This record gives sequence, structure tokens and C-alpha cells, in this order.
Amino acid sequence: MRPSTKALIAAGTGIAAGIAGLALTALPAGADDDPVLPAIDAEQLVASALEARPPAFAGVAEVQNELGLPSVPGTPIDAELLDFDAVRVFHDGEESARVQVERQSSELTFVKTPDEAWAYDSQENTVQHVTWDEADLAAAREHAGGSAAGEMTNGLADPSQAATEIIERLRPTSDIVVDGTARVAGRAAYELVLTPKPAEKTLLREVTVAIDEETRVPLRFDVFANGSSDPVLSLGFVEFEVGAQDADLFEFTPPEGAEVETTEAGDLAGAAGERAGAESGAEGTEPGTEQGLTTVGDGWDTVVIGAAPADAPGAPAGALPEGSAESGQDLDGLLGQIGEPVSGEFGSGTHVPFAVGGVIIADDGRIAAGAVPQQVLVDALGTE
Amino acid sequence: MTTGGPMATGPMTLPEGTVPPEVLPARRRAPFGRLLRAEVRWIFRRPRTLVVLALLAALPVITGVAVDLSLDGPGASAPVGPGAAGAGGEAPIFVTMATSAFVLPLGSLMTLLMLLLPLTVAMASGDALAGEQSTGALRGWLLAPVARGRLLVVKSVGVLVVALAASTLVVTSGLVTGLVLAGTDGLVSMSGTELSIGGVLWRLAIAIAWATVYLMAVGAVALAISASTEHPMVVVVSVLGGLIVSQVLLQFSALDWLHPYLLPSSLDSLVDLIRDPVSFDGLAEGAFRALCYLVIGLSLAYARLTTRDG
Repeated sequence: MRPSTKALIAAGTGIAAGIAGLALTALPAGADDDPVLPAIDAEQLVASALEARPPAFAGVAEVQNELGLPSVPGTPIDAELLDFDAVRVFHDGEESARVQVERQSSELTFVKTPDEAWAYDSQENTVQHVTWDEADLAAAREHAGGSAAGEMTNGLADPSQAATEIIERLRPTSDIVVDGTARVAGRAAYELVLTPKPAEKTLLREVTVAIDEETRVPLRFDVFANGSSDPVLSLGFVEFEVGAQDADLFEFTPPEGAEVETTEAGDLAGAAGERAGAESGAEGTEPGTEQGLTTVGDGWDTVVIGAAPADAPGAPAGALPEGSAESGQDLDGLLGQIGEPVSGEFGSGTHVPFAVGGVIIADDGRIAAGAVPQQVLVDALGTE
Repeated sequence: MTTGGPMATGPMTLPEGTVPPEVLPARRRAPFGRLLRAEVRWIFRRPRTLVVLALLAALPVITGVAVDLSLDGPGASAPVGPGAAGAGGEAPIFVTMATSAFVLPLGSLMTLLMLLLPLTVAMASGDALAGEQSTGALRGWLLAPVARGRLLVVKSVGVLVVALAASTLVVTSGLVTGLVLAGTDGLVSMSGTELSIGGVLWRLAIAIAWATVYLMAVGAVALAISASTEHPMVVVVSVLGGLIVSQVLLQFSALDWLHPYLLPSSLDSLVDLIRDPVSFDGLAEGAFRALCYLVIGLSLAYARLTTRDG
């Protein structure tokens, strides 16, 4: 063989192999066929999902966020809430769980055990520690939306808990059907589809939850908006493995030098309310009734109304301390750029739309948010 | 051509007269081990190699001391001041645990892997073929006699040694600086768990190995360019240019589909070593991507080297 032929073959094979390898890493995972599963009733599926206790598992979840949330400091519109790369979830099958929210160069770690919960933020190097005893626990379980500690671990980050709660809340106002099957994280799952009843004035088209056939753990949660075929929000496991977990994972000792804040579960209701408010701003699904938040309507067209924090742009200028007046004006400018002025019975304000809903920041300092058209927000502010 | 070294280069020895061909027994190959030793000795005898290695060793020390001073200075009342954390929006681990013996070596390695470490490797690759070609030293290799395939292996191993030495140096320097500044305090993962010395050491060892594979991918591409030119400067410039362009392209989310094909897109995965438990998915994907680049680079270098004259 002539050297030039040999060289051509070597170069050709090498480049082909290398590029094929690179293309392999670019391939989206899970292009398998839908599995064939025994038929199941929607009611049965929901009930079994609600009853099922998650097994011991380790999983990795990812989020795809096309909500188009603008980030406005000082308001519940906070796009950073969903700004993470991946979430790792570990569950021991009993009461303990560990959730690690991986951000680009920091991490939020939540560890929950039967009688305490820890939250560690590596960016701030702070630890929140919540303890409770039996009496607290009983009270906390009755608390709307779960205990404060539960809120910390169950919140948006853990898809199995998030989807379960959401199904429960939407049942009265939604049509729930099982629509085929899917393969999520390599596991066979039923696709549960929730569609708003026709009377609901929402911008959402449907919400699908993929529920694992074997363990009945919700594996994926997709939100679809009117007029788009791709989900605007997708949160789901990309890896899910059932199996016993290392007990060390469910222990937490605050690192030396970290700022530790310890609270009793009872005191935390307020803090949880704040957090719930932040989440409902993004999600429009949380019927938060705590801490100055009120809701108008129920189900899909719930509108959450709250008061803006004192340093928020809508607050009366006179109430602002000297230093923050300037930043308040900057924020007004920012609001003008991302939103449109709106007025109605309630007065006037700024409407900031995003993919599945909108927020009105009224000039009197109130904020209304929901997965609804602008007019519903205006009406809600007027009726409150 | 690979086995025909002596015949192909025979005529050219006459004007040079360095090794009279009749002295060599026919078809005798130069011992491989000796060639490798000679190559490595040459690399570490070049002043520029030593200078850049010294620079690489000094940078983690400078980073550690500078961060230590800035933390001790205005923020003395609050050791981990929120002001400090707020200022460095892009790299919070640097601020909160920057002087720890765990974060300093990894952080330095990540920062230097952006440009300075690839520069070192590109320089070595440029010298390996293009540099020796321009000074005529490459002919000596072919006269030894060394088949061209083996020549490429020797040169690749030389680059590998540079990559390994450079990343080990950065990590070691960072580790020592961290130990001096903070002792064994602050061996904390990003998940808030305290790590044992052993836990830190195996994580750092993985970091060195991963960085070496990454740098070898850069080196393989550089060797391919090096085999096609006589100017080592061209090698360095095109490798750095390629890396900078890739890093710019990585900034655009509209080009998401392109990102898996870009070598630097896996650099962020090194952060996963600071998490506990370590998730190896990103690192494995990055290593695989680097191996793809390695195959492409080395096959191109081989093709160019075997068809090139003299």
C-alpha cells in the first residue's frame, strides 16, 4: 500500500471515529420505544401514586425551563429559583431524604431525617437547621402544604414529592386521564395527563406526570402552554435507580465556620410561607394563604395576591429609606422595559407576562400572579 | 514508509554527514526506552518549559495568598462575609473556601485549564515536531533510524509527560499552599460534608488524571498542526485561537446543539469533584470527549507525518 493511501485511511478512520464519538455525547438519551403496560384507570393510578411510599432510591433530575421568567429583584418573580444544572435525590425508603441542587459553582444541600432537617447553601456558607419533636410533627403534618421542614425538602427540587402534591390539588378542577406510556430514565412509566376543565381561565394547556409502573413514583413532570408543543417547564429524572442507600448520606454535620441558624418547626411556618409565596409566583399552583398572601379563584386560574416587600419598585416612594430611593427608580425603569402598564378597577400597575401566565405589580404595592391571562389578574386585584 | 526509514533518509545523510550510514547495522532500530528518555530530557532542558512550569507552580500560591489577605483585611469581623460572597458572583467557592487545601488546588486547576495549561501543552507540541523541523533536528530522528509511527509515539509521550507534570505541579502547589494557609481546616465539600485527608487526596488524584487526559486531547490536536507546519508559533496560536473561539461559542445558548462537540464544554464538570458524593457522569463524558479529540488529532498527525518529505 502506498504511504499516501495508508495515511488517508488512517486520517479518515480517525476523524470518522472521533466525530462519531462526539455525536454520541450529543445524542439525547432515552429515544426508546414506549413500553407496553397493563391498562390502568386514572383514579387507580393517582390513588396508587398518592399511597405509594417511595422506595430507597438514588436519582438525578434535570429541569428544562422555558417559562421566560424575567428576574426582578425584590419581587416574587425570580428566575434564579430554577437556575440549576441538576438535582440529585437520595431516599432511604423511610423518612430520610437528601436532595442536592447543583448549580454551576455552588450547591444547595437538603438533608431530612425523621426528627430534623438541614439546609446548606455553599454559596453563602450558611446552614439552616430545623428540629421538631412528636407534638410539632403532628401539628406540622396538618399544616397546609406539609411541614416547614417538608417544604424545604419537598419543594420544587424533588419531583416525586412535587408532582404528588400538584396532582392532589388539581383534582377538583381538572380532567385526569392516563394517556399512554413513556420511558423515563430507562424505566417504564404511565403518562398521566391533567387538562383544565373548560371553565378554567388559564393559559396552561395540560400538565403531564410520568408515573413509574413499578414503584409509582412520579418520574417526570411537564407543563405545556397553549399553542406550543414543547413543554414550557419540564422537571424529571434522567437517572433513577432503586436500591438501598448509604446511611452516611442522611447525616449532616455543619462544616466548621459555617453560619448555623437553628429553629423549631413551629417557628418556621412564617418562613415557609415566604418561600411558598416565592414558589407560587413562579408556579401559580400554590394556594398560599400564609403571611399576607391571599388567593382569588381556585384550581388552574388561582391568582395569588401579596404585598410587595418594602424595597420593591411598586412601593410608595415616601416609604423608602433615603438610600434605596435610587435603586427603586432603577427598578421602575426595569419594570417599564419588561412589562406593560395596565389599569383597571384596582388602580394601575405593570403587567409582566411570561410563557404560562403573568404578574401584575400594582402601584399600590400589591402583586398578583397566576397562570392566567392579564384580564383575570386585573379582575382578581379588583375583587380582593 | 514506516519501516523504510533508513532507505528513505539515506541519501540525505551524505550532505549532513552526522551519522555515516555504513556504521549502522542494517534494519537495527533505536531502543525505544532510550528515545523516550532522550525526548523527555530535551523537553525539560528547554528554558521555556522550565519558565512556564515555574509560573504554573507560582499561580496557585499567588491566588491563595491574595485571597487570604483580602479575607483577613476588611472582612476580619465577619470571616465569611456576605459582602465577600456577593462580590465574587462568578466563583463563590473561591470566596468561601478559597484558601482551603481542597478548593485551592481544584480551583487553580480549573482556572489554569482555561488557557495557561493548554498553552504549555501546545508549546511542547509545537516544539516537538514543527520546532525540530525548523531547526533540522527532526532529521536526526529519522536517521537514528526511527520509523515515523514510532516518532509520533515518542513525541506524544513527551507531550503527555508535560501535561502530567504541569497538572500535577498546579495541584501540588495549590495543596501545599492551602495546607500552609489553612492547615487541615476547611476540607469541606460543596455539599457541606467534612472530608478526610484521604478523601481529598483521591479527589485531587482524579482531578490530575482528568486534566491530563484533557490536556492530551489539546496536545494531540496541536501535534497534528505541528506535523503540518515548520513554525511552532503557528501551533500555539491556532490551538489557543481554537480554544478561545470554542469558549466564546459556549456562551451562546442558541448554539446548544454545537456544545457537545466543543472540547472546553466539559471543563465545568471538574466542579463535581467538590460535591459529595462525587457524580462522575460529567467527568466521564468530558474524558470521553477528550478521547475523541485525541483520536482525531493523533490520526491526523500520523497521516501528515507519514506523507511528509524529509
